[in-house]
Amino acid sequence: MSVLEANGLRLVRRGAVLLDGISLSLRAGEMVGLIGPNGAGKSTLLRLLAGLAPPDAGGVTLVGQRMEDWTARERAARLGYLPQHFAPHWDWRVSEMLRLGLERALRPVPLPLLAAHFGLGMLMERRWSDLSGGERARVLAAMVLAPDPPVVLADEPEAALDIGQAAALMAQLRGRAVAGAAIVVALHELNLAARWCDRLILLVEGRIELDGTPGEVLVDRTLDEAFGARLERVRMPDGELLVIPTAGLSPG
Amino acid sequence: MTLLLPILGLLAGLWLGAEILSPGDMLALIQDPAAPLSRLIIAWRLPRVLGAGCVGALLGLGGAVFQGVFRNPLAEPYLLGAAGGAAVGATVALLVPMPVPSGWALPLLAFGGAWAASWAVLGLGGLAGPGSIMALLLAGVAVAAVLGAARSFLMMALSDETVSLQAVLSWTLGGVQTPSWPELGVLGALTLGALLLCRALAHGLDLLGLGETVAASFGLRVPRFVALAVLAGALVVAVSVVWGGLVGFVGLMAPHLARWRHGPGHAGLLPRAAAAGAGLAMLADGVARAVLPPAEIPLGLVTALIGGPFFLFVLWRELRRA
Repeated sequence: MSVLEANGLRLVRRGAVLLDGISLSLRAGEMVGLIGPNGAGKSTLLRLLAGLAPPDAGGVTLVGQRMEDWTARERAARLGYLPQHFAPHWDWRVSEMLRLGLERALRPVPLPLLAAHFGLGMLMERRWSDLSGGERARVLAAMVLAPDPPVVLADEPEAALDIGQAAALMAQLRGRAVAGAAIVVALHELNLAARWCDRLILLVEGRIELDGTPGEVLVDRTLDEAFGARLERVRMPDGELLVIPTAGLSPG
Repeated sequence: MTLLLPILGLLAGLWLGAEILSPGDMLALIQDPAAPLSRLIIAWRLPRVLGAGCVGALLGLGGAVFQGVFRNPLAEPYLLGAAGGAAVGATVALLVPMPVPSGWALPLLAFGGAWAASWAVLGLGGLAGPGSIMALLLAGVAVAAVLGAARSFLMMALSDETVSLQAVLSWTLGGVQTPSWPELGVLGALTLGALLLCRALAHGLDLLGLGETVAASFGLRVPRFVALAVLAGALVVAVSVVWGGLVGFVGLMAPHLARWRHGPGHAGLLPRAAAAGAGLAMLADGVARAVLPPAEIPLGLVTALIGGPFFLFVLWRELRRA
C-alpha cells in the first residue's frame, strides 16, 4: 500500500527550476535512499514531501489524503522529518525534548519507554549543551520518531556523525521500516545508501534520473555522470556492491 | 525559588521609602493594621508597591514572550523598541488633541506603537536569519533610536508647558504613580489576563525554540503563530508602558532568573518570569523611593543601573558561546 505519493512536483525559485516532474510512490515498510550531487534538490524535495513548503505544481498524498487536507497537527502525527541541521535555541533537558516529540502522537507511549528504546534512559536530566554529537543525534531521532509515524523523511541525518553513529542511526531507521514505516533518507554516502536501503532514487538537477534497487542503480553509468566522477564497482564476497570514486571526470 | 521573589519584593517595597520602616513597624503592619503608621503604609505605600509589582509582572511576561518569539536571550521589550513604540503612541495620545477620549486613545495608540515597532525589529533583525543576536540587537538599537527621536520631536513640537508634557517626561523615565484601589483592581485584572493570554502561547513558544523547521514539522503553523505571539507581546508591553512608562531591563532579567532555576519550558517559565518581574520591580521601586528622600528617582533609572551590567553579562556569555 502506498503511504506517500508525489505527482508531477515542480518548484521554481527566482527563475531557476529546482524540481521538475517529480513523481514517486512509497510503500509501507520500504526504505528509499535519495542520492545525488550537491544542489540536485534532495533537501528541497524532502521539504515538499514533508509538507513544509508547497510546490508550484503537482501534489503530495500522505496516507491516502492530500497533504493540504491534513491539519498541521494531524500531519505531524503521521510524518516525521529529521532535519540536516538541528540546533535548539534553548538549553533543554532531554526529558523535555522527548516530551515535545511525544505530544504529537495520537497514542503516546510512556516517556520512560521511549527513552529506553533510544538508549536515553540515563540522559533524561542532562541538558542539550552537555550531550555529545552521538547523544544529540539519538535525542533528535527519538523526538522525531516518538509518535511512531508511518512516514519518515530524513535529510542527510548522518552528516555530522562518525561512522559508528551513522550506522546506529541507519539501523534505527531500518528498524522502523521493518516495523512497517516508509522511510526516505537523503544520503551523501552511496555505500551507506546501498547497504541500508531497498531502493535508490538518483536526483540530478531537480529531476529523477534513476529509480531502482541498489543493484540496478549502482551499476548504471548515469551515476558517474551525475557525480562527475569515475566510479569503480567492486563486488564483495557476500555479493554486495561497493562503489569507489577513483577520479573526477574531465569537464566536457 | 523564583515564586518567592514577589514576597521578598513586597516586603522590600513596604520597608523602603522616604521613611525606612523599623522591624517593629513592619511587624505592626500585620499585628496592628489599625495603628496610624500601619494605616498610612497600607493606604499609600501598599497600592504603590502592588502597582509596581503588576508593571514588573507584565514586563517579565513581555520579556519571556519576546525572547521566545525572537528565539534570543537578549530580546527585551525596552531594547527591542516595543516599549519605545508604545511610548511614542502614548506621547501622541497625550499631546495631540484626539476626537476620542484619552482613556481610549492612550492604550490603543500605545499598543499600536508597540506592535509596529516589534514587527519592524523582527523584520529587520530577521534579515540575517532567526536567532542572530547581533542583527536583532542592531535592529533594536536602530528602531529604538528612531522612536526616541520621534518622541523627542513630538514633545518639542507640541510642547506648551502644560501638565501633559510633564506626564510624558515622567513616563520617559519610567515610574509608577500610586494607584487608587479601583485602579489597582483594573491593573491586577489586566495582569492576570496577560498571564492567561501568554500561557496559551506556551506550547507554541516551546516548539519555536526547536527551530522553525522542526516546529513546523511538529505541527506549528509558524508564520501565524509568530504573528499572534508578537501581537500578544505588544499588548502586554503596551499595558505595562501605559501604567509604568519606560522601565528597562526588567523584561530581560526576569525570564533569565526564571529559566536559570526552571529551564526553558514556557508553561512554567511564563508565570515564573511574571513573578520574578514583579519582585524585581517592587524592589527597584522601593529603592527609587528611598535613595533621595523626600524626592524619588525614576524607577527606570534604578532598573537600568541593575539591568545594564546584567545585559552585558548575558551578551558576553552568548557571544562566547557563539
